Amino acid sequence: MALEFDRSILGQVFDETDFPPVEKTDLLQFADALGETNPLYTDEDAAMHGPYGGLVAAPTYVTRLRPKKMTPEHMPRFGKVGFDGGRDVEIFAPVRPGDRLKMVSTIHDIYEKTGRSGSMYFIVLRNEITNQDGQKVAIVDHRIMQR
Amino acid sequence: MKTLYFEEVEEGDELPPIDLLLTKDFVRKYAKTAGMDFPRFTDDEGARQEGLPGMIAPGVLSMGLLARLIGEWNQAAQITRIGTTFRSPVLPDCAIHLLGFVTQKDTERHTAECDIWMENDDGERWVIGTATVLLPTRNS
Repeated sequence: MALEFDRSILGQVFDETDFPPVEKTDLLQFADALGETNPLYTDEDAAMHGPYGGLVAAPTYVTRLRPKKMTPEHMPRFGKVGFDGGRDVEIFAPVRPGDRLKMVSTIHDIYEKTGRSGSMYFIVLRNEITNQDGQKVAIVDHRIMQR
Repeated sequence: MKTLYFEEVEEGDELPPIDLLLTKDFVRKYAKTAGMDFPRFTDDEGARQEGLPGMIAPGVLSMGLLARLIGEWNQAAQITRIGTTFRSPVLPDCAIHLLGFVTQKDTERHTAECDIWMENDDGERWVIGTATVLLPTRNS
């Protein structure tokens, strides 16, 4: 049986967040918190001679950007409890110090899976991140699992 | 910089594993740095009040560590896609192992696909995922 919900909510923008300029210290602290050793993310001088010509953010930095509204006001509920099911990140351009990032959030998809323990419902929230030049930086899909 | 070129990477290559003790302090530090200092990620008692067995590591921390696994294998590998599934809560103060291998190469795009995962001492895979990396070539 197809999952029943108002399909018009798919793709509707529920949040737009403009972030303050990315600070170099923020990138360095984020890399440090992961124990990163790659000089592209940890060492400004070494990164100058690397492929980006300067320090860039560790790849999953984009997952630390949080929209003002984490979920839509009319977030569908299919189960009693929700879990963080996972993330899918597509990266198009590096994040650099001074970047002014913007994030637009939508409900991208809703689907059902049936497993041994019964039905599970997945709500995919999509955060699309662009920079001050309008360049696409990343798409972060957040899979929320309900059951 | 540790660089592996596309030509040097083979399907089946293992990424050098990272073994680490995931301490509560490490998790707290990440949570604070990433603006996620909620009780479930910082405090056992607060996590129990939310119905969890104790404080857990944010899923995105596991994902970040798996991205680090790729970077330590090849610092010149540019991650263009990474996807992870959080299969079970990651409870800190335990040994974790980050593992992966190259599953496929694309000779037109100069990319490689990797399977990546985080497991515990018993080999239970708590977090699984895949990534696509763009590799430098000898000719460019």
